[in-house]
Amino acid sequence: MFDIPALLIVIPGLPLAAAVATAALGRPVLGPRSHVPVVLALAVSLAASLLLVERVGQGCRSAEGGIGFERTVALWSWAEVGPEDAAVESASPAFRVDVTLRADPLTAIMLAFVTFIALLVAVYSIGYMHGDRGYWRFFSYLGLFVFSMTMLVSVSNFLLLYVFWEAVGLCSYLLIGFWYERPAAAAAGKKAFLVNRVGDFGFALGVFLLWTTYGTLDFHDTVTAGQVTGVGILGQTVLADPARLVGGATGTAICLLLLLGACGKSAQFPLHVWLPDAMEGPSPVSALIHAATMVTAGVYLVARCMPLWAVSTGAQHAVAVVGAFTALLAALIAITQNDLKRILAYSTISQLGYMFLALGAGTMLGVTAGMFHLVTHAFFKALLFLAAGSVMHAMGGVIDIRRFGGLRRRLPVTFWTFLVGALALAGVFPFAGFWSKDAILVALHEQAGAGQRLFLTLYLVALAVAGLTAFYTFRAVFRTFFGPERLPDEAGGHAHESPRVMTGPLLVLAACAVLAGGVFELTHGFANFLHKTPSVAFLGDGPDFRATKMGLSPSDAPARGRSPFSRSEKGTVPASHESAASHLAVAVLGTTLALGGIALAAVLYVFSPALGRRLAQVMKTLGLYQLSRDRFLFDEIYQWLLARPAAGLAWLCHWCDRNVVDRLVDWCGLAPVVVGAALRPLQNGLVQYYALAMVLGLLALFGALMM
Amino acid sequence: MPSLLVLALLVPLAGAFWVAGPRGYARAVALGAALATLAVACALVAQFPAGEDAEVAVFDAAWLGGEHGPVDVRLSVGLDGLSLWLFGLTALLSVVAVLVGWDAIDQQAPLYYRLLLLLETGMLGVFAARDIILFYIFFEFTLIPLFSLIGIWGSQQRRLAAVKFFLFTLVGSVLSFLGLLAIVLWDHQHAGTGAMTFSIAALTERLAAAPMPPHVQLWVFLALFAGLAVKVPMVPLHTWLPLAHVEAPAAGSVLLAGVLLKIGAYGFLRFAVPMLPAAVVTCMPWLLSLSVAGILYGALVALAQSDMKRLVAYSSVSHMGFCTLGLFALNPLGTQGAVVQMIHHGLATGGLFALVGMLHERYHTRSIAELGGLARRLPWAAFFMLVMTLSSIGLPGLGGFVGEFLILLGMFDRGWAAAPGPWIVLYRILAVLAVAGVVLGAWYMLWLVERVFFGLLREPRGRAAAPPRDLNVREIACLAPLAVVTLWLGLAPRFFLDRMSPTLDRLTVEARQTLHDRTAPMVTSPRALREGEAPAEPIGQGFCGADSWSRPRESIGASPRDFRGICPVSNGTCGWFLGADILKAPGETESGSAGTQPDEGYPGSGAPMARQAPDGVRHQGPFS
Repeated sequence: MFDIPALLIVIPGLPLAAAVATAALGRPVLGPRSHVPVVLALAVSLAASLLLVERVGQGCRSAEGGIGFERTVALWSWAEVGPEDAAVESASPAFRVDVTLRADPLTAIMLAFVTFIALLVAVYSIGYMHGDRGYWRFFSYLGLFVFSMTMLVSVSNFLLLYVFWEAVGLCSYLLIGFWYERPAAAAAGKKAFLVNRVGDFGFALGVFLLWTTYGTLDFHDTVTAGQVTGVGILGQTVLADPARLVGGATGTAICLLLLLGACGKSAQFPLHVWLPDAMEGPSPVSALIHAATMVTAGVYLVARCMPLWAVSTGAQHAVAVVGAFTALLAALIAITQNDLKRILAYSTISQLGYMFLALGAGTMLGVTAGMFHLVTHAFFKALLFLAAGSVMHAMGGVIDIRRFGGLRRRLPVTFWTFLVGALALAGVFPFAGFWSKDAILVALHEQAGAGQRLFLTLYLVALAVAGLTAFYTFRAVFRTFFGPERLPDEAGGHAHESPRVMTGPLLVLAACAVLAGGVFELTHGFANFLHKTPSVAFLGDGPDFRATKMGLSPSDAPARGRSPFSRSEKGTVPASHESAASHLAVAVLGTTLALGGIALAAVLYVFSPALGRRLAQVMKTLGLYQLSRDRFLFDEIYQWLLARPAAGLAWLCHWCDRNVVDRLVDWCGLAPVVVGAALRPLQNGLVQYYALAMVLGLLALFGALMM
Repeated sequence: MPSLLVLALLVPLAGAFWVAGPRGYARAVALGAALATLAVACALVAQFPAGEDAEVAVFDAAWLGGEHGPVDVRLSVGLDGLSLWLFGLTALLSVVAVLVGWDAIDQQAPLYYRLLLLLETGMLGVFAARDIILFYIFFEFTLIPLFSLIGIWGSQQRRLAAVKFFLFTLVGSVLSFLGLLAIVLWDHQHAGTGAMTFSIAALTERLAAAPMPPHVQLWVFLALFAGLAVKVPMVPLHTWLPLAHVEAPAAGSVLLAGVLLKIGAYGFLRFAVPMLPAAVVTCMPWLLSLSVAGILYGALVALAQSDMKRLVAYSSVSHMGFCTLGLFALNPLGTQGAVVQMIHHGLATGGLFALVGMLHERYHTRSIAELGGLARRLPWAAFFMLVMTLSSIGLPGLGGFVGEFLILLGMFDRGWAAAPGPWIVLYRILAVLAVAGVVLGAWYMLWLVERVFFGLLREPRGRAAAPPRDLNVREIACLAPLAVVTLWLGLAPRFFLDRMSPTLDRLTVEARQTLHDRTAPMVTSPRALREGEAPAEPIGQGFCGADSWSRPRESIGASPRDFRGICPVSNGTCGWFLGADILKAPGETESGSAGTQPDEGYPGSGAPMARQAPDGVRHQGPFS
């Protein structure tokens, strides 16, 4: 009953059923109780996900042979095109897509935290969305989103991954534009969809290229009656024999195209511009979709496809560089923003960059750190957004930090939970963010220590971002909650703490933000579990195929001191790779930077605001302040470089269509008229003329006959 | 069963004669006839067998001449896996068309419904006909009712639109008819004795056995192309379309976009591809380029429109570009994608035109700038608009995605990696551009939705006394079936694919064989595959030489899903894009090893593939 296949079906199935039920019954039947189906479904899904984690853990322990642990469940066949006879080689092999779900540690982790946060956000929304005329619509979309997101992480096929990749994008579009009467919200939804479409352009090309290269789009091997009848791209056969992975230019191209898709969904440079605008959606949506879950889909994609990246050092470095650049860029922008939710949005972009940076290290340590940060970040960033939503709720919709201040007494629960989230985000010991950020720094430090100069640079960037993060986070904290109390008019003079149904989820998340990191790290539970994922396990104890590849192309082999594939420790603690001393040094350095950032923010915004103003003035004269405030002009650049020229081209085509193509057609239509006009004089009505023509004609005829 | 199809053809015709009297009576009769036809069409779809190349409901009777006479024109109708879907689509959209003008048409209603039913008869007949003469009669028969519908019930420029539409299509179709006659005459001349046959099935079979010489095929194909490309329409022969769509009454636009455009693509698949394979393969680079040009051009022009109907009309140009792209990719993925795209485009664009018509009925404007924020006023309209839009921009779960994805997968055909150098580069570039067209498609459609349905409420002032009401039951009943079928197509495309693939396989096998002969004769030919023969060459002579891959291949099970056939890209080349190592290979190929087996384990280079046709004639490419 509660085995893995049943759980895999229940987890996405219930939210979908709830969404459909809510949409069908909606306002007339459910009315203000529209949240009931979705909340119930999410609660059951969460229980099922936790059970799934347990089942997968059990499976991992009892699994023998193979790399990692995975189970797949085929549901139905979606499409099949091409020759039926599998024994015949042909130009286009059968294209077959079965709706197949998979369970492995990576999926189980994703499912558990997605349903957990979704449940909390849904409960919070009961209070936050109370009284909205689209109440039922909101919960219907929410259920649809959770369905799509859980399917995204559990499907076992690139095509289906793309399907749900787009489906979460649709939910994001619908929820950003939830208040569709607001032009800004409608525009932001469209922008998010279109920017994601550009990313999906890359993703789709990547999928097509995978198809031409591998002839399949499945992750897993198809096994019929104990025999492997189809080799999946990330299946056991390939992982056991990595030389089957296609490297070289093809491999790099595939990875870069998939990376473009990941950049779209995870708002990485150069496709990061949609996420800040997405804050036009309701705050719970920002917390769930645009901070904790959907935006991590790109990270999931890269982690899932690690074996593809493993054969292409260039693509790995691309991931790391994109991540580092985005992390720094977004952190620099966040410093000067005044919209509390936008500060958090840029922070999300920055932290996602951090995760990409970790994955780009390409080692088991890096992937573990990236995924670890993904989970802890989900806790504290969801917390921060929900708390920001609580502030917004109390301030009557105002979210500009210049217009309020000193709220810590009026909103005590919000204040304390926000503070916990901020400490976790800043990476202060012993909050969750500290552990995961530390793990990333250690992973980078290890790569840098292995003689890779690139990673030394990236390590330094990561440290700088750590300091900046602490600074901008606490800038927001101090300006919102400290100083003299100021309230905007919209608050209506009776700003008060949010109801229990909203503060409850905040407290639960705050507890997670305090505890999750330490618990996961100190028990090694997270790392050991994750390492049983085939794609991740491959990095650690796959055979050393670098040498095989090297035989093919020495130029392509990474110039590393140590191969990531030659490590033999299986499922050990990441920290044990590094000497304890250097690990401690990294931890101390990271914490010092974080505390330094907080201290600087305290000086500039609490103790000596005058100094802060003077510093801002200096920055303004240098032009740096404006650059950061205007988001490094990316929106404007895209507007002028892409949108306007495309619109111009469209107009040009339109003009051509009217004045060239259609005119040509009209001229062709004129041809009969012209010919008619030319021939008309022949029919002049003079009988003599006709008689002459007849005679001439007869003569010509006779002449021709005589000849 | 045969009587069922004949019934489906006769019901609308009988209805057309029955329609008379006051408006209420006329439209009830029309609706009854359309619904009865739809019921019959549903029954036919339901009993169509999956997974086999069947032809159902065949009715065949001598008409002019006979088997012993000089000519043998027959009254012959039937449905196979291709025509079945278009037949069903026509029946469905006809109901929508009757419903959509329910209240809007108040002048000469009986005539209007009579023409509508005649149009339906013509369209159904086009898809059901199994005889060239019958096909052509129905083909031309669709023009007259539509010409009148546009000319009488259209908007301001209706006369111009009607004449332009009529002349444009007529000139093309006369040339097409000449092409079809040329096929018939050539066949008659070369088949020796017997009556001159016009049977499509017989001609297809005989031309497969004894094909026309390539240069003759080319001329005949150009004649066919003239008519069919206008109908599709392919850029630059599309300018009749926006005008006709914009000026036509809503029902006319629905049927024009939903069904009549499909006749062009249907004609290509029914006549050009199976009967003139060599010409199609020769023109393939041009046809694919034109298709991609249509995709991008249509999308860009749509982006610059300020009139809702024009925007949707140009989106049709773009979407039909996808359709021809898949069709002329000449592989199973592409062809099936093209037919799915036809069905989907009929549903989604038909729905969009119906919606625009409903808005026009309420606000008497089609201008995007005059409307805004209608989602609050018309939530149901907004809902259906969103569904149709999302389907047409290819959102997974709806029909558009299946069509586009299969077509694009077809454009990334693995077999093409073996095509001669320059062409594969062109094809890859075209494929990438087509994917870019998908992005553009999302842009203009979402822009339309955002401007008209979201944002601040904006309605034209002073024209309507009371604020317009949301969609009524009739209008919802008109859109809901379209949305449901789109969803069905998106969620379970197998139902559709299984019933069309054997027929499409038969129709395209000659073309695929020709393409195959010209590019990669080493691998099992499509024809052999179809006839169930064992592979002529040992397994493993994959395209562009899996063998050149340095690792000896293990046999994991003889499945095509195994990795054999992986492009042997040496590191450092951009071979993935340029079709593996073909750019390097020709030198080796032409100089030495033509016709021999590739060297085993030839590291780092492409397989020196012998590009030699079985008859010993070496082809260099589609233009050889």
